[in-house]
Formats: sequence, structure tokens, C-alpha cells
Amino acid sequence: MSTDVAVPYLDISDPSFAMHSEAVRAARAQHWFARTNYGVAILRHEYVSKLLKDPRLRQGSGKWPDHNGVHSGLFYDWWTQCLLVLEGDDHHRIRRLLNPAFAPKHLEPFLPRFEALARELVNDFIDKGELEFVNDFAEPYATRVLCILLGIPESEWPTIARLASTIGLALGVTLKQDLGVVEDALEELYGYAENLIADRQANRGDDLVTTLVQANANGDSLSDSELRNALCLLIFGGMDTTRNQLGLGIMSYLHNPDQWELLAKHPELARNAVEEIMRTNPTTTWVTREAMVDFDYEDLRVTAGTTVHFFTQVSGTDPEAYPNPEIDITAERVPHYGFGGGMHHCLGHFVARADMAIALTALSERMTNLRISGKDEWLPDSGNTGPVRLPIGFDKR
Amino acid sequence: MQINVDRTKCDNHGQCTFSAPTVFRLDEQGILQHETTADESLRHDVEEAADVCPAQAITVTD
Repeated sequence: MSTDVAVPYLDISDPSFAMHSEAVRAARAQHWFARTNYGVAILRHEYVSKLLKDPRLRQGSGKWPDHNGVHSGLFYDWWTQCLLVLEGDDHHRIRRLLNPAFAPKHLEPFLPRFEALARELVNDFIDKGELEFVNDFAEPYATRVLCILLGIPESEWPTIARLASTIGLALGVTLKQDLGVVEDALEELYGYAENLIADRQANRGDDLVTTLVQANANGDSLSDSELRNALCLLIFGGMDTTRNQLGLGIMSYLHNPDQWELLAKHPELARNAVEEIMRTNPTTTWVTREAMVDFDYEDLRVTAGTTVHFFTQVSGTDPEAYPNPEIDITAERVPHYGFGGGMHHCLGHFVARADMAIALTALSERMTNLRISGKDEWLPDSGNTGPVRLPIGFDKR
Repeated sequence: MQINVDRTKCDNHGQCTFSAPTVFRLDEQGILQHETTADESLRHDVEEAADVCPAQAITVTD
């Protein structure tokens, strides 16, 4: 490596590691990448934008089960065949068949139901003056949005939430010891998904499962097992992320009350309000890729197999790309990478953007003077973060 | 059929290349290259590419 600049080092597995810290900001000012105990972290917006889509990098989660001592079984088979980790023609074929169902024109009919759901949940706590944001809003909202999309009775949301959270344990380093409960949950979710698919094949509905059952490109369509795998990925990937992002979002506006008031007065800015929390306070704090070949990029030498983490919040607040990086829902911004990017760009981002804009609108139109009203608990800042418990007090408006 | 890509919006994610690979492709630098016209027989694929673009950067006109 030929460079005059010292390359910073970040210990990202230290439990006290924080993305929003002076150490990380100093590293970003010092150089465009840092070395970490897992590989390399890309810190600056310009380089995240270029390298995230580089074809010499593949999605970095494929070997996750193997790295944690799991080499076969139900979870292993699902994980290694799901869209998230597929590459090349196998990935492109499935992605093409799934993509249109998630396009804005297919989502439009669901939006009034998301609005009604958000208002219902707000009505349930609005007279109390406080709520536990995760249990009372973010989790039921995120899960019932999925139920609405998939045509699952909304009353079944606690089961879906439980299964999604249990399968989510698979993302922890305790995967091997949790494998039994993860596989039980996955098997139950398989049953759910298979019943849904069989039902929509027999009876067309107006939901996303029906759209996917009918999805066809040049005579090609999804097999039943491909569709089942995709629905399980959608539930697994769509619930936790939205719940966590809403919790992070409400915290951002709790700390930026002027922006919250602006949103309440101008609900037409809700889409920007979502972009700003994704940019400055994303649940996915890094996006993971793995080098497929050895290559040099400027002064960075990458060897095949190296993990490359793209730091989303750090690049999303890079002063080179965002001269005034604080939240401003009226500002025009260059794109952030809170939804990842390239071939593996988040499949459900149009859903997430729309449902979170509706949620923030419903919350801001009824609540003001937000404050922490009890003990809050948070997931660590590595990978996927968000509140576990978030008691919030407010004044009703 | 005319195809326009708003370069101020396009972020070179390449999702359009799945829907209409003969019209959209990423070059070796990962930059989107595309045809500006396409045969009517490709309308479904090109409109799908426009629908799924994460940045909604593609417009199709007659």
C-alpha cells in the first residue's frame, strides 16, 4: 500500500463502539477508509457511492451460517438460497420476478390502509400522554403493515412479530446455540407462507402474494419454494428493520423539536422527513460486502475474501457531501445509502419509505413536546440497531 | 418509444438492467449506459425498468 496518510483503526466489536462518536468522525476526517477487526470500513460518501456498487464485491452475508458453525439444515438451506445472498444470474432472475410487485404503482392501493392503521394506533395511546414506543406503536405498526401487504388477517400480527423476531436471532453471534428455536420459527413461517401461496393460487386476492403468484417474465415464474423463501425473507427483513427505524426516527425528532413542528405544519414534507432519519440515524449502520477477487482501489489493497463494511450513518453525515449535515426536512440532498445500493439495493424500500412517512405524519399531527419518560434500552451500534424499549412522554395536540 | 434517464437522479444501482437487459447496461466503470429508443416489442420490459428504478430516474415517452 502506498500512502502518506495513516489509516485509522476502529474496533467495531467493542460493545461501547458508537457510530455517532468523535472517534469515528475523526477517522472519517483522517482518511476515506479505516481498518477494523472485521476487515475494512468505508467512511466517506464519495467512496461509499462508488464502491458499494462495484462488481468485484458480493453481498457479504452468504457465509454467515458457516462462520458461526452452521453448515446444513433448514435455516442453512433457506439462508443460502434466499435473494439476499444469491449472486449473478440466479440473483438477477429472482430479483426481476420480485421487483415489480414492490414498485410504487402496486403499493398505492395499500396506502389508505396504512394511514388508517397509524391513526388507530395513535388513538389508542393519545389520551395517556405517554407510550412505550416500541410495543405501543413501532412493532404493531411494522408488523400489521406486512399483514396488510400479504393479505394476512391483522389480528395474527403477534404471531408474525414473534416469528420474525425469533428468526432475527440468526443474525446474532449466538446463532449456533439459538439454532433450534430459529429453525422451529422458520418451519412455522414456512407453513404460513405455503398456506398463503396455496390459497392465492386458488383464490386471487388484492395483495402482494397474489401479485407474486402471478409474476411472470418472458414465460418464467417463481416456483412455489422460491416464492415461499421470498415471503419468509420479506417478513424477516421487513419487520425488524421498519420497527427499529421508526424508533430511531422518533428519537431523532425528539432531539430536533423544531423539525418535528415543521413536519406537523407541513405533512407534505413527510417523505423528506423519512430520508433525513435514514441518512443521519439509519438502523442498518453498515452494509456488508465481500471481495470476490484481489484488487486495488486508490491506496486500498483488497484481497479476495476481505469483508468491506460501508458505514451508512458516517457517509450520510459526511460534510463533503452534506455541508450542513444536521436534520433539515426542507433540504435537497444527494442520495444516502441507508437502503444499501447496487444489485442488492433493499427490495422493500418503496414500502418502507411510504409506510414510515405515513407513520411520522400520524404521530406528528397529534403529538408535541416529545421527551424520554423512563428507562430506554438500545441494541448495540453494530450492524442493525434500534431501541428495545423507548418510553416517551408528550403533549397531545 | 423514447427512453430518458435523468442523470441527476440516476445512482447506477442497475435494477433496470434486470428488466430490460438489451436496453440498459452497466459499463465496466459501473456507470449506466442505455439506448434512447427501443422497439415497441420491448415496451413492457422498459416500463417495468422505469417502475422498479429505486431513484425513479427513467421516463418512457411515445
